[in-house]
Amino acid sequence: MIPTRSSMEGRLVRLRAREPQDEAAFHVWFNDYAVTEFLAIRYPVSHLAERSMLDSEPALRHERAMFSVETLGDGVLIGNCELRVPGAENRCGNVGIAIGHTGYRDRGYGTDTMRTLSRFGFTMMNLHRIELTVDATNARARHVYRTVGFVEEGLLRDHRFISGAYRDTVVMSILRNEFQEDPL
Amino acid sequence: MAPGPFEGELIRLRAHEPEDVDRAFTWLNDPEVRQFLGRQYPFSRKDVTERLLPAPSFASALFAIVRKEDGLLIGDCGLFGASPENRGASLGIQIGDKTCWEGGYGTDAMRVVCRFGFETMNLHRIDLHVLAWNERAIHVYEKVGFHREAVCRDAMFRFGKYYDILVMGLLRGELR
Repeated sequence: MIPTRSSMEGRLVRLRAREPQDEAAFHVWFNDYAVTEFLAIRYPVSHLAERSMLDSEPALRHERAMFSVETLGDGVLIGNCELRVPGAENRCGNVGIAIGHTGYRDRGYGTDTMRTLSRFGFTMMNLHRIELTVDATNARARHVYRTVGFVEEGLLRDHRFISGAYRDTVVMSILRNEFQEDPL
Repeated sequence: MAPGPFEGELIRLRAHEPEDVDRAFTWLNDPEVRQFLGRQYPFSRKDVTERLLPAPSFASALFAIVRKEDGLLIGDCGLFGASPENRGASLGIQIGDKTCWEGGYGTDAMRVVCRFGFETMNLHRIDLHVLAWNERAIHVYEKVGFHREAVCRDAMFRFGKYYDILVMGLLRGELR
């Protein structure tokens, strides 16, 4: 039986494979400190680097499933997200997510993206656990993750050095039996 | 020291070494052994080396079977094509040393490699293909818990005729 709702769609967003034409938007977002402050990106990114990354993008697979996020209604590209699974045995995926389009902050798009990505991880990739780390000062993101059901597990003290100061990193995770579908 | 995941009653599993190639090359080209294998062509020494020596991994975990009492290499077994999403893999096994064909070595190796699949690789299902006339092998597979699932008619051609292949499957929790 095939579910009626696409496994790639939430209430507000759709996940799809990344395409070379996403480059222009990625280049803007990943050179914007408002986006990169909380990511692992520290140095400026060239068009060339973005292009070659997207051109050499391998097919989506269990080890690394990377998606672009677009709005359901009008297909506006608003961010990207991924699940990395370093070892198939543990069935544990690591989340990366960025809502880069500043016009879509604080409107539920991040929450919907996390729910859709988590559902994909549990129901299509057969994961047992999904984990992430988040900058302790990133209150907005921590709220989103808690809303989806992620639990704060620990604090890595002085884990990242950003703009002249050390910051703590919060470790969060959700187990398969804890994940609640968003009722439609 | 607690027995590790590679220890059985009579055998243990280990990674292959270059020194294993000669022995494996001999039995892989022995017609009496080859009759049970799903291959028409002879193996070159290079074929055998490339088959045995890659490091075991989730995608392809092939092990040497050695006798515990003296460390003698007697065969190989492994789990191949594991799908991380479906958590299924296919099993292959052979006891190449004909003096070990009776005596429980194959049964013991089957239990160890299946237990490894479930407890270390975290698989949900293991399946295997066996020539439908190979009753001795099928008996061993059923003894450790495999179910007869499907007969693929005329699925293999060799020695001038077609043979049926039996697909057998084992789910997590069914290993005996």
